Amino acid sequence: MNNQHWLRPVRIIIALIFLAGFFLLFSDVKGNLPWLTFEVLTSFQFVPSLLKFLFLPGVLTAGFILIILLTIFSGRIYCSAFCPLGILQDAIAFLQRRLPFKTKRRKFRKALNYIRYPVLGLSVISLFFTGILAINWLDPYANFGRIASNLYQPVYIATRNLLANILMTFDVYSIQPFVQKVFYPLPFFIALSVFLLIVSMVLYRDRLFCNTICPVGAILGLLSKISFLKISIAKTSCTQCGNCQVACKANCINIKQMSVDESRCVSCFNCINVCEDSSIGLRKAWMQPAIEQPSHDKTKRDFLKAGLLFAGAYPLLATAEEGEEDHPRFCHRGPISPPGSQSIEHLKEKCVGCQLCISVCPTKVLQPSFLEYGFTGMMLPRMANDIGFCNYDCVKCSEVCPTGAIIPLTQEEKKTTQIGKVFFNKNLCIVETDGTACGSCSEHCPTQAVYMVPYHDNLTIPETNPDICVGCGACEYACPVENPHVAIYVVPNKVHQLAQKPLTEKVETVETEEFPF
Amino acid sequence: MKRRDFIRKSVAASIASGTLFSMGRWDPLLASGNISAKAIDMVAVKNGEPAAMFDAGIAALGGLKSFIKPNQTVVVKPNIGWDAPPERAANTNPELVGRIVKLCLEAGAKKVMVFDNTCDEWTACYKNSGIEKAVKANGGQIVSGKVAGNYHPVEIPNGKILKKASVHELILESDVFINVPVLKNHGGATMSLAMKNLMGIVWDRGYYHANNLHQCIADFVTYRKPDLNIVDGYRVMKRNGPRGVSVDDVATMKYQLISKDIVAIDTAATKIFGIDTERVQHIGMAEEMGMGTTNLDSLNIKRITL
Repeated sequence: MNNQHWLRPVRIIIALIFLAGFFLLFSDVKGNLPWLTFEVLTSFQFVPSLLKFLFLPGVLTAGFILIILLTIFSGRIYCSAFCPLGILQDAIAFLQRRLPFKTKRRKFRKALNYIRYPVLGLSVISLFFTGILAINWLDPYANFGRIASNLYQPVYIATRNLLANILMTFDVYSIQPFVQKVFYPLPFFIALSVFLLIVSMVLYRDRLFCNTICPVGAILGLLSKISFLKISIAKTSCTQCGNCQVACKANCINIKQMSVDESRCVSCFNCINVCEDSSIGLRKAWMQPAIEQPSHDKTKRDFLKAGLLFAGAYPLLATAEEGEEDHPRFCHRGPISPPGSQSIEHLKEKCVGCQLCISVCPTKVLQPSFLEYGFTGMMLPRMANDIGFCNYDCVKCSEVCPTGAIIPLTQEEKKTTQIGKVFFNKNLCIVETDGTACGSCSEHCPTQAVYMVPYHDNLTIPETNPDICVGCGACEYACPVENPHVAIYVVPNKVHQLAQKPLTEKVETVETEEFPF
Repeated sequence: MKRRDFIRKSVAASIASGTLFSMGRWDPLLASGNISAKAIDMVAVKNGEPAAMFDAGIAALGGLKSFIKPNQTVVVKPNIGWDAPPERAANTNPELVGRIVKLCLEAGAKKVMVFDNTCDEWTACYKNSGIEKAVKANGGQIVSGKVAGNYHPVEIPNGKILKKASVHELILESDVFINVPVLKNHGGATMSLAMKNLMGIVWDRGYYHANNLHQCIADFVTYRKPDLNIVDGYRVMKRNGPRGVSVDDVATMKYQLISKDIVAIDTAATKIFGIDTERVQHIGMAEEMGMGTTNLDSLNIKRITL
């Protein structure tokens, strides 16, 4: 099996490229990276690709099929080479081994199938009751995204700003500081808890998450059972030295029985390179020496039991959604979903909450939700008009979305996508209450859905034309009124509408011979 | 031999002195004895390209050397408020800004910095306005106007309403401050001109809007008058300002104004636009506070048609 020693370094190189790539994506604070970078990296993510394919079938969204084929060919390559959360766990384990802590010697452990398959079953069953809620919380890519967006990006911005500030004291303005990410305690603590949970699972038993909680790991694990190539041990040459067992981060090599649980093997190939007598390696499945398979009956029983249990409990968790509200009151208006998400319903059906869109939004108008969309819509993007407003020409979030929750929009399509409508409360307006000029709202309005009309004493006051409003929130962001709240704001369209295009005629250029003064 | 030496030396001397005089800085010294040549208060240029109009206009004022001493630092404040291309005329013309940067450096400036506290997201504004490229190509530096820590509180003792503001450190620290607004319509302030452009050097613009916009604009001028104002009237947004909706809002008028008097230059700009100066209330307020004059007849205006 000597000829297979190249597998591990190749796996590590691909993994590092993917991990670095994903950190690069989440460092793109101003959304300057080309569209293709996002497309290439995210199209190999299983759940996002699957969700996107179901909605927008095509070659570019068929990444999950590739992963399935790869798994059927040679096991869970995805888990060690493409999955950012898997690679992150390897990185944590790598650090752990180089820190002066005592680490437990790895050994074979039984599969925790009574957790793994019920969790998978639960996430599948829950699709019928609460949409992708469970997938949202369990998907490794989405969890990585939330960790990167909430924990890594602030550190990146702070470091960059520190450098910029040091340079600025020397009057060098070559690095421009960025505005720090807005701190929302709940989304932050959710991401932090998940990160700490994963770190502790790694410290406890390496890839424990991948083989007990991760639904993608469970699906690919089932597929691995029919893989063409599998890691196996040549019983004739194996000396049972146990090196492979110690190197196995999935704890799936049983050296006593000289067997490998391929459903848990994450294809890291560490075992191949530590084997002293070249006995372990990838082999065609039918060439394997016969190994007594453990009975699957217990697994099946676990699966069914847990499935029934959770099927009963799930509807209780799904809370009733808030009713329709016509009166556009500021505090009860509900969340606004980003352009391209089509409707709040669509967003909640498709979004896994990876927060890539939030991380790259140049104006930072996209911020994570907590309970704005209800219990089933936590950590999704929402328009925070108090933080920023949606740039009229920008389609970045629709370009980067890996799941099709925000479908790709052209600039032209976006300019007629109405995510909400402007509502002006004249009684609160500065021009009305103070009798002084303002016009901040109209100033920022890209379509002049908010425009100024003559008022008393040379003043002008806003008027609105909601038909051409796209709901970008610029007026709301710019409104200086604070008490009790802004005088102009966007009332969400739960289902996005088509905005009319602003009609304009060309102004005439009057040629003058003489100076007018 | 002596005669030849004499001729040679005298030719060399006359060339040297001619060169010195033509450099411009000596003109005011020599002209000071000449009472009939009254100093020019404002230059108005029309019918040229932005850079060519600036070349002609600033030459009439004795070149930028009359405003910049060697090794001084210069801050240029165009309007870069919006994520819009030059054709939309929401921002100052990039060609003009580039030429100003170039001539500042030629006049001996140590460095030229350009910034604005933008309304739209700043990297998009800098890029799509074409100003970032023009500034860099001409040797200037682009600075973000969106770093709160770069703004420092100042007192405005003569302000009626605006008593304090946070001003960008480049304005506080630079030796020369050149204000380069674009002439355009403005929904709230009626017109966006030289004085209105100064809202882009303070941090909290919301205060202006919430507390009598026109008075605050006028109040700020009492704190800091730019050393030179250049109004870009090449493309003029006639309506839907200050952001504009499309190129349909824009008329190509090919004007440029240069003056130290911020009230006078705004007055002239309203006349080019074709609106009563009184309707732009901050102009009258600033005149009342002694910041300049709206009476253009009292000024020596040099008019140049290219």
